[in-house]
Amino acid sequence: MLKGLVKLFKKKRKDEIKAVDGVSFEIKEGEIFGLLGPNGAGKTTLIKCISTLLIPDEGTATVGGYDINKDPLGVRRMIGVLTGGERSLYWKLTPVENLKYFAALYGVPRKKTAERIDYLLELMDLKNKARERVERLSSGMKQKLSIARTLIHDPPILLIDEPTLGLDPYFARFIRGFIKDELHTKLGKTILLTTHYMDEADELCERVAFMYNGKIKALDTPVLLKQSMPQEQVLEVKCLGDLDNEVFKHFRESVSLNIGKQDGLTYIRMNTENPEDLLSRVIDTVRERVKVLSVIVTSPTLEDVFVHLTGASLKDDYSQRPQNALRDR
Amino acid sequence: MRVIIAEIKKDVKILLAYPIEIVFWIISPLLWVVPLIFQGKALIGGLHSTAFSNLAGTGEYIPYVLIGGIFSTYMFTAVWSMGNALRNEMFYGTLEHILSSPVRPFYILLGKALYNSILSTFFVAVQISICVIFFGLTITLTRIIPIVFFLLLLMIGLYGVGFIAAALTLLIKESQGILHLFEYILFLFTPIRYPVEVHPITRAVSVFIPLTYALVALRGILLGIEFDFVKNSLVLLGLDAAIVPLGIWIFMRIEKRTKTKGTLAHY
Repeated sequence: MLKGLVKLFKKKRKDEIKAVDGVSFEIKEGEIFGLLGPNGAGKTTLIKCISTLLIPDEGTATVGGYDINKDPLGVRRMIGVLTGGERSLYWKLTPVENLKYFAALYGVPRKKTAERIDYLLELMDLKNKARERVERLSSGMKQKLSIARTLIHDPPILLIDEPTLGLDPYFARFIRGFIKDELHTKLGKTILLTTHYMDEADELCERVAFMYNGKIKALDTPVLLKQSMPQEQVLEVKCLGDLDNEVFKHFRESVSLNIGKQDGLTYIRMNTENPEDLLSRVIDTVRERVKVLSVIVTSPTLEDVFVHLTGASLKDDYSQRPQNALRDR
Repeated sequence: MRVIIAEIKKDVKILLAYPIEIVFWIISPLLWVVPLIFQGKALIGGLHSTAFSNLAGTGEYIPYVLIGGIFSTYMFTAVWSMGNALRNEMFYGTLEHILSSPVRPFYILLGKALYNSILSTFFVAVQISICVIFFGLTITLTRIIPIVFFLLLLMIGLYGVGFIAAALTLLIKESQGILHLFEYILFLFTPIRYPVEVHPITRAVSVFIPLTYALVALRGILLGIEFDFVKNSLVLLGLDAAIVPLGIWIFMRIEKRTKTKGTLAHY
């Protein structure tokens, strides 16, 4: 449970950045709770405060019954922190040596350590690599070993920061499945997960908090967040070529608009009640400038809700907010 | 205790993973000691100096410098290894993970300190062997017990210095400059190569550094120079009692500061 958590970073003499700005929420036992926001929203800072790696300037959090300010060691016993991926391991040691070391740090009883390591290597399908140096393992195997390291002391609460960042789609799918089926369903862990992938939050999280500029902008189940959109449909137009955002100036008055650019393609998403009416206007606007590749009418995603609430995009590619997020309220 | 042993095992295994580093540890004691011997021979032209005897209480310059060079190894490995220990963890990407475990950083640092002692003892053993085999240094069993006694007192104080070095690395991130500064200050103000009586300032500053008393005692034991056993023991004990808590306090303050400023994992 977080109560009015504030974390300031001083940049120059008088400049201050509120990386976390009065954040309060409660996570239920056994829940997967998602913190969704673009890079720089304050998600990692919040995770670091909860894991006692940062001392908050105001407010507090209670984790597994322990206060982060009063009893940081108690908090650390209750949590497993998965951040940094493959860089969180000793590459010159083997998986077994890494896990033995962290088992000692986390106070896993000596008698149980071997059994626990055996179980985790089996779980992560790393048994045949148990005695090889970590530096010789693939990125995916290192990520799996990082998960095993996080679980070595069987913590009831897991803090997972951007678990699929930089992973290939196949392995990202494996990680998402593992979090949902193994960690949540089978092991019953309480999970706080940060991500800037809306699909990930939608797929995994029972509740999601949108974080932007250090503040929680909305908090609910993915379904209810999507239902909160005033417009029920989204018109998505995919074009070949680069479009100037100014072209859509006149749409701002009537719709919530999100433009993304990636690999020479432009994606235009507009929340609307009447996609048919809007379609001809959009086509007329863009046809002379770019080639229209596809037009889809779909339901709002969590990203559409996020754009609607903040005016910013979640994706890195079009994160040059606010220029690319041409939303009018 | 288990954490301390785990820390030592981990650091030893990582060291053993770098074979060239092991070769360095074997060769460097020789490279460290021999120039001091040659320097002494060149300056004095023999093994005895009357002028030196007036300051040091012994005219044997070469054994005097050898002992200073060998036992100051403990000081330098404590400063360098402890200072670099956290920086290495920053580079590995593991610092945040060990500091988010339910272990007080003190125990992790203590593990690193003991690892340094093992390393230093190996280093010193190689140096002494070289001196015994090639330069006629004699060590009898009766001398070993008081040597170990003073080495233990020295090492405890050095842990305090190591904690300060580790804290400064955490604070300023780039450790090389500050560690070199530490090293030069120690060379200047302790009787490693010359008696601190050579100048009033070196004499005044040296009284606050444990290495001074340890070297006086170790030289006294090995070269038969008269020294006050009880006084040196008590002063070393007193300095240990002051420096270790001071080192831990400084480390805790700086750790808190980095956690407040959010610079813990920066490097």
